[in-house]
Amino acid sequence: MKRAKSVPLALVINLLLVIGLVCMAAPFAWMLSTSFKGTKDIFRYPPQWIPSRPTLDNYTKLFRTVNIARPFANTVITAVSITALSLLVCSMAGYAFAKFDFPGKDVLFMGVLGTLMVPGQITMIPVFLLLKKLGLLNSYAGLVLPGIASAFGIFFMRQFIVTLPNELLEAARIDGAGEFFTFNRIVLPLCKPALATLGILNFTGSWNNFLWPLIISTDESMYTLPVAVASLAGQYATEYGLQMAGSVVVIMPIVIFFMLAQQWFMEGIAMTGMKG
Amino acid sequence: MQRRARVAYMFLAPALILMMVFVVVPVVASFVMSLTDFNIRALANWGNARFIGFGNYIRLFGDELFWKALRNTLYFVGIGVPLAVTLSLLLAALLNSPLNRAKSLFRIGYYLPSITETVAIAVVWRWVLNSRYGILKQALEMVGLDSPNWLGDPAWAMPAIIMMAVWKGLGHNALIFLAGLQSIPSTVYEAAQIDGANGWEQFRFVTLPLLAPTTFFVGTMTLIGYLQLFAEPYTLTDGGPLDATLSIVLYMYRHGFKFFNLGYASAMAYVLFGLIFVATLLTMKRKGEEVTFG
Amino acid sequence: MRRLPLTLVCAALLVGIMASSIAAAPTRLTVWAMGAEAQKIGEMTARFEKANPGIRVTVQAIPWGAAHDKIITAVAGGTGPDVAQMGTTWMAEFGSIGVFEELSRYISKSKSVEKGQFFPGSWGTCVVAGKVYGIPWYVDTRALFYRTDLLAAKGFKQAPRTWDELRAAAAALAVGGGFGMALSTNNYQEFMPFVWQNGGRILDEKGRPAVTEPQFVEALDFYAKLFHDKLAPIDSGGTDLFQEFAKGTMPMYFSGPWMINMTNEQVPEIAGKWSVAVCPAKKTRTSFVGGCNLVVFRDSKNKDAAWRFVEFMSDAGNQLAWFGVSGCLPAAKAAWDAPELAGNPMMAVFREQLDDAQAPENVPQWAQIEAAIQRRVQEACYGKKTAAEAARALEADIKAIR
Repeated sequence: MKRAKSVPLALVINLLLVIGLVCMAAPFAWMLSTSFKGTKDIFRYPPQWIPSRPTLDNYTKLFRTVNIARPFANTVITAVSITALSLLVCSMAGYAFAKFDFPGKDVLFMGVLGTLMVPGQITMIPVFLLLKKLGLLNSYAGLVLPGIASAFGIFFMRQFIVTLPNELLEAARIDGAGEFFTFNRIVLPLCKPALATLGILNFTGSWNNFLWPLIISTDESMYTLPVAVASLAGQYATEYGLQMAGSVVVIMPIVIFFMLAQQWFMEGIAMTGMKG
Repeated sequence: MQRRARVAYMFLAPALILMMVFVVVPVVASFVMSLTDFNIRALANWGNARFIGFGNYIRLFGDELFWKALRNTLYFVGIGVPLAVTLSLLLAALLNSPLNRAKSLFRIGYYLPSITETVAIAVVWRWVLNSRYGILKQALEMVGLDSPNWLGDPAWAMPAIIMMAVWKGLGHNALIFLAGLQSIPSTVYEAAQIDGANGWEQFRFVTLPLLAPTTFFVGTMTLIGYLQLFAEPYTLTDGGPLDATLSIVLYMYRHGFKFFNLGYASAMAYVLFGLIFVATLLTMKRKGEEVTFG
Repeated sequence: MRRLPLTLVCAALLVGIMASSIAAAPTRLTVWAMGAEAQKIGEMTARFEKANPGIRVTVQAIPWGAAHDKIITAVAGGTGPDVAQMGTTWMAEFGSIGVFEELSRYISKSKSVEKGQFFPGSWGTCVVAGKVYGIPWYVDTRALFYRTDLLAAKGFKQAPRTWDELRAAAAALAVGGGFGMALSTNNYQEFMPFVWQNGGRILDEKGRPAVTEPQFVEALDFYAKLFHDKLAPIDSGGTDLFQEFAKGTMPMYFSGPWMINMTNEQVPEIAGKWSVAVCPAKKTRTSFVGGCNLVVFRDSKNKDAAWRFVEFMSDAGNQLAWFGVSGCLPAAKAAWDAPELAGNPMMAVFREQLDDAQAPENVPQWAQIEAAIQRRVQEACYGKKTAAEAARALEADIKAIR
């Protein structure tokens, strides 16, 4: 490495990174700051970064009048359900593709991968009509069911399970263990890293999902947080403080989740790039 | 063998059934719907839909607003994808540099926008881009520039959306590039140094070619995602002003779920599918032409 | 012999019990109400039940976002209500697919409900292709809100009464970086009144687009020029109308009666410095009328009781009570004679406006036509098309929709 140039170069690199970081973080800082402001302080130029008259009014209104607790609960229930069910279903399918031979295996696997190409908007309308016929519009079932079987999840688990040593599974079979026992007690525990990563991706993706909950919920009682925030922007169009508070409620839990599990997050994202 | 095959099918069953019901059948059903005039009458009673062959597609061909949505989406993709890929590669290179002091802090900070929900952060951006009270205006004025009327000027609305989309995806793509960069063995760089290559030449002739698979991956994923642009224009501009930010999916949503022209909307979905398919094929073809080492 | 009276008594008791249980079985009415009205309608249904023992009313609160879909579903599955609140712009969409009961025979038999007791524009929203599908419940309309002090300073002793005066006032007020008025480039409720004031319309008697008629084009031209000449802001996104009204940068605007209380709450510092006036005239002073009607579903099993409820709610006295409970303006003209409304000078302006207020043509594809109108009007306002070009494009749009 070039010693003579390294100090100014280091300065430039770090300076660029810091400027970039400020650009990344500024909207978040603004969001937090504005959520504690009253209307008169919001419509002000130059903008106030630190509220001169901070108020909790926006949050009070958010929880009392707008009742954001319900969309929050819906989002949690939906995200947890999809994540849990998806992990189970996808790891089962991934196990089948990874460790078994059966007629049609290649065709089915190609088929599953093929669905990765299909954009959600294609299936959106017929699934909407199907759920409507079944009376499952505006229900948890409607929010959760379509999101469980994911081609990406199946592919991801298969790639991981393929690397598990066959000897372990053979040994279990020789000992007379049943198939589900083997899956439950041997395969799944070995998959913990993959499950953790996939689980995080699923949970975050489900939490942040907008278009599908928007279409399927016809009632405020079934809104998820993203839909509630959009509705807030429509109904309380001029109450920016309230909207910022709503955004804080949607974003902060995932940010906290991320801070606690960032190792897994980063590894997972990196993995998707490598295996892709 | 037979018993094992049956076991395999049992493990596959839940996923396969769900995929049949929620993906395979709907893909076919969607195509069939696109050949009918399914609208609000049919919503009340499916039997009211009439088969009209390729009528919807012909109508799309003559639909001025659809072409506008198509142009807007291609504009977004044409500028957005290269910008996103370039900037995130640059960011990854900076993050990867041994001269960088606060790796973890930067990684976390840059990744934050990627995990935020689009509508929630778009609502914040609506305010950031405010032409009278926004912080972007403040930032621009600090360096002596005038702030255009971002969301009110048809010429600046799409650039504003591009800006927001690129900002949001930067950390995610940079992370993937970072993993790619870190997988290049240092021996290759050492060999290049011995051959007399300087830093810039190393980047051009060693890093970039070896990074090709990652670049392809990031580019394709970004392309497919950007073609489906919806949440940003829905929240920031509702397709305006003057339909400057009307995207294909937004137009499809309007026809499908505001006017209930579900047959017409299905046809639009298939055109979008065709676009994604063609775009992916094209990028694959380009990848085949990339030179790879080791 | 003693058994006979006993049998008679038992028989009488039995008949009596059966008769009273039949008489006591109440008729159950389901009423769908939306938005804020759902919260408040309970007081009216309670009064109705008192006046009509034997009818029990259950109110289901339906959010506006869900209403459209619920009505569609109800048509398919027969799960609809007996009575529902219905937005004026949905009457044609659902009326034309047979969701509502046609009410003419009920009206002719009714002692209290007749067309003449309601504002004509409001009644018009209930009629689809000559059939009456609802009865007006509450209305709203738009009038001109303006700063009396700022206008007076420029020599205008009263609100502008004609289009020319409106332009002149706006030009006089649009100084120092401000505008003469707030106006939207893509809101049909603000635009259409200008068309009607000039005697224009969207569809002709045969239902064909009439937007290339000179009255429409002239109105569009006048409207667009307000933006071209910077008398109205081409983009007011991200501004707070109350703040701008108070600051004087948007000293005039068109809106409805709810703005009265909101203005007093948000910017009390300008109390006494603003007022409302009837829309300025070209040929007429027509404004926009909206609101909600009450409809009876065709699949209802209790149509007579449903009609009784609708009759009850359309009575002028009850509409006045509803105003007291909810702030929604009565659709029945007689209710406006009461002191709460007649004695309030701002309300008197809205009363006067309601006599000359219209709604757009009642056609099933209204949602798409509305989108087309707003799009072409915006193009004219931004100067991308002349008024004539925009009108021709709109004509083509409407033809494609119909």
